[in-house]
Amino acid sequence: MYPVFYAQFLKDKRKPLLILTFIGLSILATLIFGNSAWQTNTTVAVFATGPNAEEIEQKWVKLLNKDNENTEYVISEEGEAREQVREGKRDIAILLMEQDYRLITASDMPNIQLIEQEVHKVFTEEAQLQAIAGSADTAELREEIDRYLEKPPLTVKIKSVNGGELTSHNMGTQLLFGFTLFIAMFTIGFKVNGINADKVSGVWNRLNLSPVSKTNMYTGHLLYSFFIGFFQMAAVFLIFEYVMNYEIGPLSLILTIAAVFTLSSVSLAMLVAGFTKTPEKFNMVYPSVIPIIPIISGVYVPPGVMDNPVFTFIADLFPMGYAVEAMMDAALFGADWSEIMLPVSLMLLIAVIYMGIGINLGERSRR
Amino acid sequence: MLETVKLTKSFKDKKVVDEINLYLQTGESVGLLGPNGAGKSTTISMIASLIKPTSGDVKLNGKSTIQNPSDLRKMLGVVPQEIALYEELSAYENLKFFGKAYRVEKETLEVRIQEVLDMVGLKDRQKELIKTFSGGMKRRINIAAALLHNPKILILDEPTVGIDPQSRNHILETVRELNQTQGTTVLYTSHYMEEVEQLCNRVYIMDHGKIIATGSKEELLSILSSEDTIGVQLSKRSEAFTDKIKTLPDVLQVEQTSEGLRIMAKKNHHLLSSLVHAAEKEGIQIMNYKVEIPSLEDVFLHLTGKTLRD
Repeated sequence: MYPVFYAQFLKDKRKPLLILTFIGLSILATLIFGNSAWQTNTTVAVFATGPNAEEIEQKWVKLLNKDNENTEYVISEEGEAREQVREGKRDIAILLMEQDYRLITASDMPNIQLIEQEVHKVFTEEAQLQAIAGSADTAELREEIDRYLEKPPLTVKIKSVNGGELTSHNMGTQLLFGFTLFIAMFTIGFKVNGINADKVSGVWNRLNLSPVSKTNMYTGHLLYSFFIGFFQMAAVFLIFEYVMNYEIGPLSLILTIAAVFTLSSVSLAMLVAGFTKTPEKFNMVYPSVIPIIPIISGVYVPPGVMDNPVFTFIADLFPMGYAVEAMMDAALFGADWSEIMLPVSLMLLIAVIYMGIGINLGERSRR
Repeated sequence: MLETVKLTKSFKDKKVVDEINLYLQTGESVGLLGPNGAGKSTTISMIASLIKPTSGDVKLNGKSTIQNPSDLRKMLGVVPQEIALYEELSAYENLKFFGKAYRVEKETLEVRIQEVLDMVGLKDRQKELIKTFSGGMKRRINIAAALLHNPKILILDEPTVGIDPQSRNHILETVRELNQTQGTTVLYTSHYMEEVEQLCNRVYIMDHGKIIATGSKEELLSILSSEDTIGVQLSKRSEAFTDKIKTLPDVLQVEQTSEGLRIMAKKNHHLLSSLVHAAEKEGIQIMNYKVEIPSLEDVFLHLTGKTLRD
């Protein structure tokens, strides 16, 4: 096992660019997407049509922007707003009406659902107030409600399950975990593909004739893939924790989850290697399949957005969703060892099953 | 020492190797000749215990190696047809890797690496990466990697395919030295007849998965003792003349060459006059007529009706 492991190490020592590039990519992707996509405000163009358009626009923009920190609604020309959506410069524009609204969008993206929820809430609330006031003028009623709520008869205080302050979801942290795990899967895959490369080049046969057992040949390759994948993830987490001062939670727990994820990713790569049999086919299939996993696992969107039952079923067959969930629980909600046992166990189960099938498939072609 | 008994391999109902019986005696150098697709590599893979035969047996000193190949593997050095090396590592690093895999003791490994590098003539290039080597140099290191553990039996699967004449000569010289001075038993497969003629005491000729002839070079050539191979240089090419020659009595095979014809025929003193007569009729002049010394290539042509490179 040791010579096989060491030979792989020597190859990477001579050409470390791939690993360093992937570490850099993990950091870069987290910085770009983690800081911009979810932490800056979204601007939504709104407009009305007809003779009293200006009045409608003023009324609803004021209500839409009230107590709203994440989204800014700005009045825009109809033609310009539609053009921007058509050209993909904006995801959404809203046509405001007296008592109703229309969303103008080119595709059904996750953030559109969030905006729709916000707008729907404002229009529903206004409709309720108008029903209570019995007229379209709800300004007085609003003031009365605001005054009343300054001294409410009862207050609701929300606490976490542990009794502490409720922690809000941090998309930046989720993306940090997501991108790091995703890019590490590539490194792991390309290393596991060394098995296929050895089989095609004849090195595998040569080792087969040596006293090195087949188990040791596989162990050498897979252990090295595990080692390098885990090293990459650990390096990224440590850089974020100590150099960039991100709060990534208890390191021992996060690294344990990363280790189990690495193990199951090695197994997943072995499964693909077993199916593909040659390094060329692996290089074609693996990079095509892997980018889909974080998408269907809901890694790039807030929890709950990815609710398609087919996608969630497929996502459950891969370790990424479990790993990100466990890491987020540990980082944000202070989950302890017992609370991450379920996702960790599922990842281990994936590791055992995929490894078994992968090695079996790889060996079947050689009998 | 090593023998195969009715060794057979089928892939999806197609027999690639069909009941092959061959043996290697200690210190022998045996050639396995055949065109591409004859089943040589599959035979070697079965002998080397890399793939299991569909039926038949491989015996080492009378003991079957199919179920327990470990004794055989210790004695065996296999040089595969492909370059089974890590391109990203140097020649030295590759040899060290395979030496460790073969559990060559640490103290002797360094010495052994230098010995095999010396043997293949690449001692001064050992620190260079394999990917910077020429095809011939890669093949030489490919051989060196199989010699690290001092194998008693060396199996070489077409070790000279696609390389320069200098590297080819070096490889042939290395194999000859291993066989003659170190007593290594050699099984050498090739479709280059002249290499097998140079190196091997005994030859097996394979075609379509079967052994079609076996024996020493002299024994194989004696197959042609009742035949002559005649090279005829003609003033011009003529299909009609070629067809006519094919119909002459005792003519077995006619092959067109760049200069004229190569005729294989039973020994017949009247053949020359028949040829001259036929040439006159077709208006062709015979510029040269030469009875060639038969080679193994001629034996192969005689047995299969085709040349080795077909």
